[in-house]
Amino acid sequence: MTINHTFTVMDPIGLHARPVGQIVTLVRESGATVTLRNSEGKEASAASALKMLAMKVKSGESLELVIDAEDDAAGHALAEAIEALVNEG
Amino acid sequence: MSATELTGIGVGSRAAVGEVFLLETSDAVYEHQSTKHSPAEEASVLATAIATTAAGIRDESATSDPTAREILEALLIILEDPELQEMAKPYLSEGDDAPTALFKALDEFAELMGDDEEFLSRVADLRGIAARISGWVRGIAAGPSIPTEGTWIIVAEDLTPLETSQFGGSVVGVVTELGGPTSHTAIICRALSLPAVVSAKGAMTLTPGESVLVDPEGNRVVSGGTLSDATQALTFIPQSDAPLITVRANIGGLEDATHAAKTSARGVGLFRTEVLYLSASREPTLDEQVASYVEVLKAAPAGKIIIRTIDAGSDKPVPFLALGHEENPALGVRGFRLAHDFGDFQKSQLAALAAAIDATGRDVGVMAPMVSTVDEVKSFHALCHEAGITQVGIMIETPAIIQVLPDLKGILSFLSIGTNDLSQYLFAADRMHPQLGALNNPWQPGLLRSVNQVVEKARDLDIPVGVCGESAANPLLSIVFAGLGISSVSVAPSAVEAVSTALASVSQKQAKQASLLALAASTPAEAEATVRAMFG
Repeated sequence: MTINHTFTVMDPIGLHARPVGQIVTLVRESGATVTLRNSEGKEASAASALKMLAMKVKSGESLELVIDAEDDAAGHALAEAIEALVNEG
Repeated sequence: MSATELTGIGVGSRAAVGEVFLLETSDAVYEHQSTKHSPAEEASVLATAIATTAAGIRDESATSDPTAREILEALLIILEDPELQEMAKPYLSEGDDAPTALFKALDEFAELMGDDEEFLSRVADLRGIAARISGWVRGIAAGPSIPTEGTWIIVAEDLTPLETSQFGGSVVGVVTELGGPTSHTAIICRALSLPAVVSAKGAMTLTPGESVLVDPEGNRVVSGGTLSDATQALTFIPQSDAPLITVRANIGGLEDATHAAKTSARGVGLFRTEVLYLSASREPTLDEQVASYVEVLKAAPAGKIIIRTIDAGSDKPVPFLALGHEENPALGVRGFRLAHDFGDFQKSQLAALAAAIDATGRDVGVMAPMVSTVDEVKSFHALCHEAGITQVGIMIETPAIIQVLPDLKGILSFLSIGTNDLSQYLFAADRMHPQLGALNNPWQPGLLRSVNQVVEKARDLDIPVGVCGESAANPLLSIVFAGLGISSVSVAPSAVEAVSTALASVSQKQAKQASLLALAASTPAEAEATVRAMFG
């Protein structure tokens, strides 16, 4: 099941080291495959902290999550959790 | 015996005595070295070294502060990323040993991150962990580890999360050459209740093993000092029922307003309205805004209420206002500057405020943040009048607005000084910069004399001046402000009682004397020490 989820990065310093580390751990535990895509179409695997940081996502930019999970519910829950890590972490 | 004394910025109020432990890293771990082993062998050494060191660091930090642990965990995940080992491979193929290739891969990645300040602030930590990995491979200690026995004062240039996470019960205090009141070291020491003096010039010249007194109340470190030499925390005994000047509360929404109403705050000196908008994904309707404001105004403590219009910027973005990326958000489109591009939103906020004032009958003044010209003030004043708001004021945050205050006669009802931003713009010093903490010290003569200038210029305008920056939450500074002629201070609800007590314990004459001492001082240390001596 593949789902897409787009949201705006609101953390003042953008997508930074701490949430990136938490995303790697979360995605690893979930067993899902997650790709991040920015508005310019640049992609990074959520398994790689370095690749996510190298996207240099700034505050105010939109970010798309492409999630391949067991089922829809798990995918949506993961999407919400990642968004929360980015914006409230 | 005359003791050596270093001055800095104190963190915490308890003093500590212990032996100096200098935290330095051996250069040998950073050296570039080549190897006789094959690239494949070195790659496997690197993978094992990373895994072993990461596991060791996780063990050691298991009991440290949760915030520090989260940051450390993020750094470990970056170092464990297989991608980094891929980036190290070309260097291994050239004959570098595992640690050298790791350092080069990290440098390459840091270069790729370019001017990303958040990441650059982490590079030193990543290199610190890489140094431990290198130490493991080369069989040398990356740095002396802190003994678990004894009572130690850790002395360093600055501390990284990796280092603070290794503090055990034998660490009783901290002294650093760099850092400011909001730096990582200060935040962690506050969380761990460890007395510290940061930004202490000459810290690295302290002799390992010598006994020193860390005296945060006195902002100093004294060689050979004992606890009886420590500066005592001030206690104020109220001499009258009411503070010398009005003490109000800073609030951001309903919860704060309710909390503030339980304190002795007489009204609100700063209602930060952006808090209502920062989490809204679409622009709230006029009715929604009115309803939120009515709720807050009803709950706020009795007395005057000063509301600040939206103070957002690209570092504090509001989702429904499209703010592009800026190289330098502190100097960008923020505060009232937003009204240029988002005029309709600014009008709707003012209309909502006017309706809420009408509905509740509260005594309310409305002020604009971040103004620096007469035209901006006139345009804000016109917008307020159009909306039916009569008490119009401005924040004093930019040095430029101070110089044109005489031109604002008859337009404004009040001024409010935001000392945090005023410091940042007066000293051209980023509030969050680790090396510039000393410039953002609110006792800086350049700041105090500017506050004095504002009061003098406002006297000709015949309007009151308040202070709503964090500095007013310092009881001694609140007395200095009262002496300068400031007519109200506004502080976090949690600081209202301490500031009210201090201001009820002094006479107008004493406050005036304190302000003259502070104005006469040429350094922040001298200003604080002479004022403290009056009450100590």
